[in-house]
Amino acid sequence: MSTDPNQAVACRTVDAEERSLLGRVLDRIADHCRARSLFVLHYCTGCGAIELPPTMTSRFDLERVGMQPMVTPRQADILLITGYLSVKTLKRVVMTYEQMQGPKYVIGLGSCTINGGMYWNSYATIKLLDRYIPVDNYIAGCMPRPEAIQQVFLDLMGRIDRGEAQAWKDYYRRYDWYLGQQQQLFGTNWQAPTDVVGEAIRYRLVGEQTLGSHTAHLERYAPYYDQLGIIRPEPARMKARPQLEVVSR
Amino acid sequence: MRPENYKPVQHSASHEYELYFGPNHPGIEGNYALKCVLSGDVVQSLRADGGYLHRGFEKIMEERLWIQNVALVPRICVPDPVPMEETYARAVEMLGGLEIPKRAQWIRALMLEASRVCAHLFYFGGHAATMGMYSNMFWGVTDRDLILDIFEEITGARIYHMYITPGGVRRDLPEGVLDRLSKVLDYVESRLPEFDNLFFDNAVVINRATGVGTLTTEQALSWGVTGPNLRACGLPFDVRRDDPYLIYDELDFDIPTETAGDAWARTLVRREELLQSIRILRQIIATLPKVGGPIRCALPNPLAWNVPAGSVYARTESSKGELGFFVVSKGGAKPWRVHVRGPSSMHAVHVLERLGPGSRLEDVAQIMFSLDACPPEVDR
Repeated sequence: MSTDPNQAVACRTVDAEERSLLGRVLDRIADHCRARSLFVLHYCTGCGAIELPPTMTSRFDLERVGMQPMVTPRQADILLITGYLSVKTLKRVVMTYEQMQGPKYVIGLGSCTINGGMYWNSYATIKLLDRYIPVDNYIAGCMPRPEAIQQVFLDLMGRIDRGEAQAWKDYYRRYDWYLGQQQQLFGTNWQAPTDVVGEAIRYRLVGEQTLGSHTAHLERYAPYYDQLGIIRPEPARMKARPQLEVVSR
Repeated sequence: MRPENYKPVQHSASHEYELYFGPNHPGIEGNYALKCVLSGDVVQSLRADGGYLHRGFEKIMEERLWIQNVALVPRICVPDPVPMEETYARAVEMLGGLEIPKRAQWIRALMLEASRVCAHLFYFGGHAATMGMYSNMFWGVTDRDLILDIFEEITGARIYHMYITPGGVRRDLPEGVLDRLSKVLDYVESRLPEFDNLFFDNAVVINRATGVGTLTTEQALSWGVTGPNLRACGLPFDVRRDDPYLIYDELDFDIPTETAGDAWARTLVRREELLQSIRILRQIIATLPKVGGPIRCALPNPLAWNVPAGSVYARTESSKGELGFFVVSKGGAKPWRVHVRGPSSMHAVHVLERLGPGSRLEDVAQIMFSLDACPPEVDR
């Protein structure tokens, strides 16, 4: 990998304005193809997983729209969060999510991912999923019907086709904020074995909040961050508590 | 962290290695993990690692009203939720001294047995899938959906019905649903020869499952094994017959047993139980139209219901084994303590850890599925 972000390998994820006309046409074709061949990671994180076998098998048959379960995160496109997440599972979910290759999409299935649902006062589960990883679509209900799951998959396919499902870029642009939220649960020394900042540089998705006070303990592993000319937040801003804002999708 | 900075833990030279099996693994049932120590592909030791689905049910239930908990209990076990509702409702009725109307008892038995058929169809698919045989899973899941349609017609929901409440059931059966259920049962029964051809008479499957995860009767008794897993060891214990609840003493059914105690025997027992459940359902379909009367007894205002003080243990035969609720009331608006005795917490933790060593790695998933362990119920 080149150490100069401007010399980094040109990948399709740079901003649309920077792309040439040919690049944009190629992106459009790639999006169109990608929307019709989605692999769903086979990870049953909660009780919503009981409605996935009917959705995937003969009766509702999602394979006809090009979807299939995939066993490894590295080859999967969609991470389905099927219901409530205990803190112990959330750690595995974050590690799984970071292993997936972009572009990647997250669907929160069931009320528990939206506001805690039935377990709103449980001491063991998290209540708001999009504080920890960016989420593309939610399905309300406990539990959602297979028709609802299908509807959301079709909606996601349409948004991928139109190039609108961009929530995953938010994880790189605001990595410091997401890491801070994760550190509140897992401790301040928490880090996954994935070099998210390195990926952000490679995808050219380094934003103002990629590095900050929460990522400071990662920088001892990567002294080259200083040579890259990454936009760093002002010291005053680093101390300020990150604002809770609506994730731009 | 960058990979070149990642310093792995150094172990001394050994023929053994550690493998994490799950939670993100297609061979594991639900969100559950096993830590295996292997030599070659033979399991040396196995530790269950649960807690991924822990929601703190027993604590949450202490903070909600008696009637609010009706919505909470089916979520304990996802593939087979009806016995949870039934057991909790019966525990509250025992505490409150409520007499359930006869018609409600028959409707409850109908729901319980239909749920057992669902769970066993799911089990056939799951067990076959651990051997890489997915046709069976497609068939089982699709046939199960027909019963879910009946559930939806009766209760309004496919999975979590919240239909059985303390004192009876929520509403009466819709018109004609018994005929439709009867047709579904005919269909499921007519499918069994096809399941036989594909799975139960398949030499590959029989060779693969025979002698895997063998339990002796003494082991099963001392490790707290219940349900079909115990009956596969030759012990005909069934809560429905030995401690009858609802109207089970008026029904005519057999307790199928096998003697081998291995994964194959457990599957054969469940195949026989599916037929027995269909037989029970046919009796209920024949009797239910003659049983009239109300579907719910008179209840106090559920939002200000102080259940009399006391402690009870109610138990039910679920598709996985004996399910019990130990409920303590101090006369307040909320339960003082609820303990769930789930069959899977014995099967998936204690039994699995002891059956694992000595088996091959590819059989670990099969042993877990053949015990029909349900991780949400282990972790609660």
